[in-house]
Amino acid sequence: MLDWTIIVHYFPFLVSGALLTLQISVLSLILGLAFGLTAALCKLAANPLLRWPAVFYIWLIRSTPLLVQLFIIYFGFPQIGIDLGPFMSGVLGLALNVGAYNAETIRGGIISVPKGQTEAARSLGMSGAQAMRRIILPQALRIIIPPLGNNFVILIKDTSLVSTITVVELTLTAQRLIGSTYKPFEMYVMAAVLYAVLTSAASMLLVWVERRTRKEARA
Amino acid sequence: MTPTSSTRPIDPMLEIRSLQKSYGQLNVLNGVDLKVAPREVLVIIGPSGSGKSTLLRCINHLEEPTGGQIYLEGELINDTGRSRKDFEKHINHIRCQVGMVFQQFNLFPHMTVLENVMEAPLLVLKKDKTTVRDNALELLGKVGLSDKTSAYPSMLSGGQQQRVAIARALAMEPKVMLFDEVTSALDPELVGDVLRVMEDLARDGMTMLVVTHEMGFAEKVGDRVIFMADGVVVEDASPQAMFSNPQERRTRQFLKEVLK
Ligand SMILES: Nc1ncnc2c1ncn2[C@@H]1O[C@H](COP(=O)(O)OP(=O)(O)O)[C@@H](O)[C@H]1O
Ligand SMILES: [Mg+2]
Repeated sequence: MLDWTIIVHYFPFLVSGALLTLQISVLSLILGLAFGLTAALCKLAANPLLRWPAVFYIWLIRSTPLLVQLFIIYFGFPQIGIDLGPFMSGVLGLALNVGAYNAETIRGGIISVPKGQTEAARSLGMSGAQAMRRIILPQALRIIIPPLGNNFVILIKDTSLVSTITVVELTLTAQRLIGSTYKPFEMYVMAAVLYAVLTSAASMLLVWVERRTRKEARA
Repeated sequence: MTPTSSTRPIDPMLEIRSLQKSYGQLNVLNGVDLKVAPREVLVIIGPSGSGKSTLLRCINHLEEPTGGQIYLEGELINDTGRSRKDFEKHINHIRCQVGMVFQQFNLFPHMTVLENVMEAPLLVLKKDKTTVRDNALELLGKVGLSDKTSAYPSMLSGGQQQRVAIARALAMEPKVMLFDEVTSALDPELVGDVLRVMEDLARDGMTMLVVTHEMGFAEKVGDRVIFMADGVVVEDASPQAMFSNPQERRTRQFLKEVLK
């Protein structure tokens, strides 16, 4: 028999799990954006000392499973003297992962800005960095934001994998409650509902950001 | 200044010596020699692919010459003796003194007209904002766009965009202006406004290198016309001489084609 009344009692636990999921998502989002932007700019650099590490990083992450990446950081790194603990391992793993996908998204946006824009900026005496920051990136942003937002929605869902490295986020919270209640259907459905709330909120936020940038940067 | 320098003839604003540019096997510039005096308006004509754009783009180092020297007021532009970092700074400094206007306008679409004109003086020259703003408004007045300062480029006609691009380049107070077929992408009825702005600029004493197919403009505003073909200067003459009595066979052929 299904017993939904049990949810009322355990709901606060699930919500606190969801809050940790949200926290992990936001942290990985910010870090992942920094990783992505850095890797994108490095991959576009003329200097091979910048370019090749970026190419390698992006290739490595995109050609291996996230779960294995998390295991390497959480279980493997302590063997070489880097013990980050479950939470930091989870955030770092997710950020490195989404960062590689963001890098390709950002790079695509940057190269889609017409070459004449860089030339106009440089001909006015701007340095490469100034042209990138003031002229190219603001224009690339319009193109980048929708796919970047998509990466973040995927990221929120991917956070459930850190339950395997003992981070008590939403999925592991549900699992633990099932251990004591034996109600897997109710618990997992509730967890799914909370994930859907988080991803939908993120999507709505994204639409809002998109509208704002479109208003600011009309081409 | 040393006392002797005042007795020398006026130095050229721009001096180009045996300039070469090749892309792999393709030689685009095959030894161009050129002097442009201060306040001079040099018009560059020639068939498509003759290296006119490449010549202009070498002057502000959007293209790196493969040989030869370019001097701006005696300062070597393509100075390969410098360290990489020093060269970057040097080139940015040179570009501040050399304005360029492109065929495709290349305005910054995410900025208003006023922001387009103010951006580089603020960012690169680190000038005070009110000064930059006043200067930008004055320049936009000069090019006849005082009423468009808060418009975005996409809301303007091609001719208006090109005039903003000229104002944007002038805001850096350059010593030389390079114009690369700036009216070629415009509807015929919009060409006149842009040419008038350039004529005013010439009258104000700007040193200008103008690549154009507008032979009327060349004749009226140019102090000197050069005809380029296959990466060399084939003929170099006053507008009157160039158009009424060209010396070279290839010049005659070209002029017959374009003036027909
Ligand atoms: N980046 C490039 N790579 C290879 N060839 C180029 C490049 N830019 C220009 N060219 C070639 O150089 C020649 C001269 O070009 P250009 O200076 O643009 O001529 P023009 O402006 O007189 O029409 C053309 O044959 C063109 O195809
Ligand atoms: Mg050209």
